[in-house]
Amino acid sequence: MAWIQEVSRAWTKTRSTAARRLFLDRQAEFWLAEVDPVRSLTETRARVVRVIEETADTKTFVVRPSANWPGHRPGQFTTVEVEIDGVRVRRCYSISSAPGDSLVAFTVKRLPTGRVSAWLHDHLSPGDVLRLSEPAGDFVLPEPTPEKLLFVSGGSGITPVMSMLRGLHHRGAVRDLVFVHYARSRSDVIFAEELRRLADRHPGLRLVLRLDDDPSPRRGFDEADFAELVPDFRDRSTFLCGPAPLMDRAEKMWRAADASGRLSRERFSAEPKLRALSGPTSEVHVRFGRTGRDLVAAGAGSLLEQLERAGARLPSGCRMGICHTCTCHKKSGTVENLVTGEVSSEPDQKIRLCISAPRSDLELDL
Amino acid sequence: MTTPSKELTREEAEAFGRELDELRRRVVADLGERDVAHIRSVARTAHYSEVAGRGLLHIGIGPVSFVVGVSALALSKILENMELGHNIMHGQYDWTGDPALDSQRYEWDIACDGDDWRHSHNYEHHTFTNILGKDRDIGYGFLRVTPEQPWRPLHLTQPAFAALLALFFQWGVGAHDLHFSEILSGKQSPEGLARRARPFLSKAAWQLFKDYGLFPALALANAPRVAFGNLLANGTRNVWTFAVIFCGHFPEGVRVYQPEEAEGESRGQWYVRQLNGSANIEGGRWLHILTGHLSHQIEHHMFPDVPASRYPEMAPKVREICGRYGQRYGTGSFRRQLGSVLGRITSLSLPGPMSFKKARLDGTQPFCAPETPTTGEGRRGDAAAPYRAAA
Repeated sequence: MAWIQEVSRAWTKTRSTAARRLFLDRQAEFWLAEVDPVRSLTETRARVVRVIEETADTKTFVVRPSANWPGHRPGQFTTVEVEIDGVRVRRCYSISSAPGDSLVAFTVKRLPTGRVSAWLHDHLSPGDVLRLSEPAGDFVLPEPTPEKLLFVSGGSGITPVMSMLRGLHHRGAVRDLVFVHYARSRSDVIFAEELRRLADRHPGLRLVLRLDDDPSPRRGFDEADFAELVPDFRDRSTFLCGPAPLMDRAEKMWRAADASGRLSRERFSAEPKLRALSGPTSEVHVRFGRTGRDLVAAGAGSLLEQLERAGARLPSGCRMGICHTCTCHKKSGTVENLVTGEVSSEPDQKIRLCISAPRSDLELDL
Repeated sequence: MTTPSKELTREEAEAFGRELDELRRRVVADLGERDVAHIRSVARTAHYSEVAGRGLLHIGIGPVSFVVGVSALALSKILENMELGHNIMHGQYDWTGDPALDSQRYEWDIACDGDDWRHSHNYEHHTFTNILGKDRDIGYGFLRVTPEQPWRPLHLTQPAFAALLALFFQWGVGAHDLHFSEILSGKQSPEGLARRARPFLSKAAWQLFKDYGLFPALALANAPRVAFGNLLANGTRNVWTFAVIFCGHFPEGVRVYQPEEAEGESRGQWYVRQLNGSANIEGGRWLHILTGHLSHQIEHHMFPDVPASRYPEMAPKVREICGRYGQRYGTGSFRRQLGSVLGRITSLSLPGPMSFKKARLDGTQPFCAPETPTTGEGRRGDAAAPYRAAA
């Protein structure tokens, strides 16, 4: 019945308008969080339940998300948002727990220059509240599960495939799976104990650890070694996640074997390349994420002026950095603040277009 | 009587600006946890005092709970409008990435629509501060608050008009971006005005509904008490914000600029104009919070997007820098500044004073008016003197 839908749609819209215009949404959000910091109507929050030291530089954070957590498919990632010294920062982490669990786990390797990973390692502890985005990513086990599977992972790239393995284990669906994992040493293998337990339990799971410090086999990924290890790799639905060198060589091998169609991969996102200080002639590509528009910004002046020259019509006011009319979200890329000389290369930062100069290709939330 | 600011050369102004930029850089680099904690604690106070105020109005009986309820609700509205709304919408907390503190999305609990405000205040007023003909905040298109504005007979009514504006200040603020006066001068068509007024009318309707429809209805038999209480709380907030804002730009000693003076000005000269176009109010921590730190109008105009709670620690350094460059740093007690503003509104309702205009034209005095100590009494005599002499 169309009119019922129409009435219900109109009602929903009126309700949300009224809530906003009467500030009831803000009130509700405040008082909910006052009662329980995990509760929210607008975002998914989670409370840290447990922190597990996996290896010397890797920790798993087990969190209990609020009721509006939609659940994930094994292999997907979530964007974890925490507040570091008053500033909200976000990082994507693969979910390592099995789907359907009431607890969600993500595993973080401490990067030598990673501000956020270091903060998570040093400060995040049970009881803390963080925010999670809706799980995303196409690096997932297809339905129905393929008969013959192959997981290839390196280092902390094990996390999404671990979620897949745990999911299969929960469903009793570990039938014919080869799991090859590369790590620097035995003590660097994340989830080592659980992997061994699962391998003992499931005759269909063949676990191979390739360790750099093992005396016998070759170090790292080696095509000949791998072909010997898994002769039927071409016929297996393969899930690959690891550092770039491993990924590159494996992809080449699959291409050469004409088996790319059966290879799914998850890349760790690469940092945008920093341009040399932009001379007046350098060009950058700017993508407007919301509208999908692509522009080339070039020439003198601020990013705002460059985009306007490229044909964009953007809200702006004082054009000197004080009124914030042109403030927008930079999803990725690097800009330089023309007033302070400060360089912003973190994803998801607010920038003022009128006092920013592009230093790399950009994606803006416009 | 304080000495007016020294005229700075372009180079001096640049050096002045660089020192202020450096101060700004140091504070911005230090922003963090405590700024977020501060603004959230103000928000918490505002929320709790709103609930307390409404609770007392809704279920209380008798005058004591009424007065306490109105006070609590007024306090909540003042905190929400000043320290939260005004400052958040300036982008002072955009660096936090918290959507609740997002300048572009924040909407405040007042008749003025947020987007209108972001335009008329953040852009127009803060960019063209105190430039005659460009900053429509100079007298809000009607009041004569500086002798440079030509006198019109209607200005005779301005003391009464100012009193009305104080009582209904949120409506003045709300309608400010509609450019009403441009209808009279033919610069705006009635259709243009109607289009422009849409956000304001919609916001105003919801605000009226909330305070005088919904909440009284929820109070059942207490409806008249709630409606009246809301009216008083809104009125209290109105008078308070009027007083604070008028003290920011209109006390004696604050100067206005001709458009030519600001043409092609450098960043340093912009700072100089912000300084000479603003005045501070001295007081304690709570006065500053209740004014949304607009008691530090000078620092606010120099650093409009630095969290306002940092102004008190920046002020001594700003003042020291101003001293070294021979710049006047206008400040005084609330009583003194307000007395000066009210005196000025009264005295400038009469034509004149010719002497000041002449002085400006001669270029002998960079300053619009000599400073007299406190209340309006002395000022009125002064300002009216040339007029009386001419008559």
